[in-house]
Amino acid sequence: MESRIMEHPILGEIKKGRKVSFYFDGKKLEGYEGEPIAAALKAEGVMVHRYTSRKHLPRGIFCAIGRCTDCVMVVDGRPNIRTCVTPLKEGMKVQTQYGVSAASFKEQEEKGNEKI
Amino acid sequence: MKRYDLIVVGAGPSGLSAAIAAAGKGLKTVVFDENERPGGQLFKQIHKFFGSKEHKAKIRGFVIGQELLEEADQAGVEVVLNATVIGLYQDKEIVVRTGETVHHYKANAIIIATGASENMVTFDGWTLPGVIGAGAAQTMMNLHGVRPGKRVLMLGSGNVGLVVSFQLLQCGCEVAALVDAAPKIGGYGVHAAKVARTGVPFYLSHTIVKAEGTDHVTGVTIAEVDAHFQFIPGTEKHFDVDTICVAVGLSPMSQLLKMAGCQMEDNPKKGGQVPVCDEHGATSVPGIFVAGDVSGIEEASSAMIEGRMAGIRASEYLGYMQQEEEKSSLDQLDHALDGLRQGMFAPANRGRNITETEEGIPISENLLTHGFVAEDEIERFPGVTRSIGVHPVMECTQNIPCNPCQDACARHCIRIGEKITSLPAVNPENTCIGCGLCVASCSGQAIFLVNEQSEEGYATVTLPYEFLPLPEKGEKGVALGRDGQEVCSAQVVEVRTSPTFDKTNLLTMKVPAAFAMKARFYRKKAQ
Repeated sequence: MESRIMEHPILGEIKKGRKVSFYFDGKKLEGYEGEPIAAALKAEGVMVHRYTSRKHLPRGIFCAIGRCTDCVMVVDGRPNIRTCVTPLKEGMKVQTQYGVSAASFKEQEEKGNEKI
Repeated sequence: MKRYDLIVVGAGPSGLSAAIAAAGKGLKTVVFDENERPGGQLFKQIHKFFGSKEHKAKIRGFVIGQELLEEADQAGVEVVLNATVIGLYQDKEIVVRTGETVHHYKANAIIIATGASENMVTFDGWTLPGVIGAGAAQTMMNLHGVRPGKRVLMLGSGNVGLVVSFQLLQCGCEVAALVDAAPKIGGYGVHAAKVARTGVPFYLSHTIVKAEGTDHVTGVTIAEVDAHFQFIPGTEKHFDVDTICVAVGLSPMSQLLKMAGCQMEDNPKKGGQVPVCDEHGATSVPGIFVAGDVSGIEEASSAMIEGRMAGIRASEYLGYMQQEEEKSSLDQLDHALDGLRQGMFAPANRGRNITETEEGIPISENLLTHGFVAEDEIERFPGVTRSIGVHPVMECTQNIPCNPCQDACARHCIRIGEKITSLPAVNPENTCIGCGLCVASCSGQAIFLVNEQSEEGYATVTLPYEFLPLPEKGEKGVALGRDGQEVCSAQVVEVRTSPTFDKTNLLTMKVPAAFAMKARFYRKKAQ
């Protein structure tokens, strides 16, 4: 967690909630309860939050105040959750969003083919 | 449907100030804000504010935010958070979304204080993770305690770009360069100078060609632009960075006002689409008022005054205040706001090419193009003098509305006078005792204490230092010039901290006497 600011020259020690674990694409990570999911991910070095539906381009944190919706992910099964304004909770399941799904584009394509 | 006397939209500095003023007059007031916490952007502002005492100068933004929240609490203001106002309809009915539900509210008066949103520029790779808004950087580091990146390139030299660059340095990030397509730095010279002296290079008339990387930013290429903002081939420069921070201005979030049928105008001096309103925030629709950035981009200090004005106007509109009382309250606030709207950076001066200070001194061209005052320019300013013994050197070279240094000095060594924008001058009749209160009081970190002959062949320079780790007494390192380049070796002879300095530490270093007017920053020698 080297991106965490342990001591700040002006703000001193940054107050945080309880340390909790959560899951990012199945991998167990740690963060602090109540901080935005995006902050916890950033601290753990996660840059890509989702891939766009048509061009499959990566997106991450952009405005960090819930305005741009670039950082949306699938959280506890629900897509399009703005991770920069959604507080982290113990055991949360956070998944990279492909288009509007947690299934990879390949899986989505296969599923689509089955339907046809 | 719940009814109020007054509904305020936005719990930032202007909205809270408006609600405090109105609730103080007895109006049943509610404030809705879409965020989880109140205070708007104030809690991300960790620098000391400019102005005079009445504008809460030299107090850090987040402390002003805390004071505002306490005041709102005492005034009995109801603040509803996580509540997005999604509509403003006829007869002052609003629609608020909280979670998955939508509620209707009605009031007799409305104050819109929704603030502004960040502007963006596009370039190749601008959507890559790692390209972020300057506001995002502030949110990450100052609210959530997470560094936005290891090595950052800042695009934009307005006050936001300059202040955020400094804050990035404070939290331990490296700033690779500060870049702006404009030929001159847009923000305060003192903000630029405190970044430049740490060694951050400025590239004016440059902009981003391309953000590099496949899944996230791994580098950036910038190039020089001509007078028509076209790239000049062969001027490309590459930086290895993991983050690109974009600070290219703000736009008023005035959609609700347009929806309510307020008369709107496109005003580039105010930052875009704004409601037509009088000087106290009354829009074309009776009972709908505005305050803060939504009615024209300025900063938090003026937003708080505008908020109080709108709160008073709403009180009078609803009969909670007599016209005479309204007038005297507004007169006071007019005076305070007028004080902030003076000087080179006043809204009226936007876009104007200013070549001289109010005192008739040619302004520093180097400051505008490189971020620091050149050695052959600095001594023409009234705050920069030479004398025997310890004395203040005020490298404050642009007329901005700010005067805490004058009040800080109990010995009256510093003179600004009646006009708040005047450059600080040294009063040679009075003797400096080296207390350093002026150094810590300067929001622009532009004051130094210099003793040109502290001992045979040596001088001491005391400078404001807001970084960690704090250097230790006796430590040896190098002194950097205003341009951030090494000028000589230096030894730390004293580090002073005090609650009165409010986190601005005073570092005194000993340098060879010839460098007394050159050495302006200290760096520990690399191990």
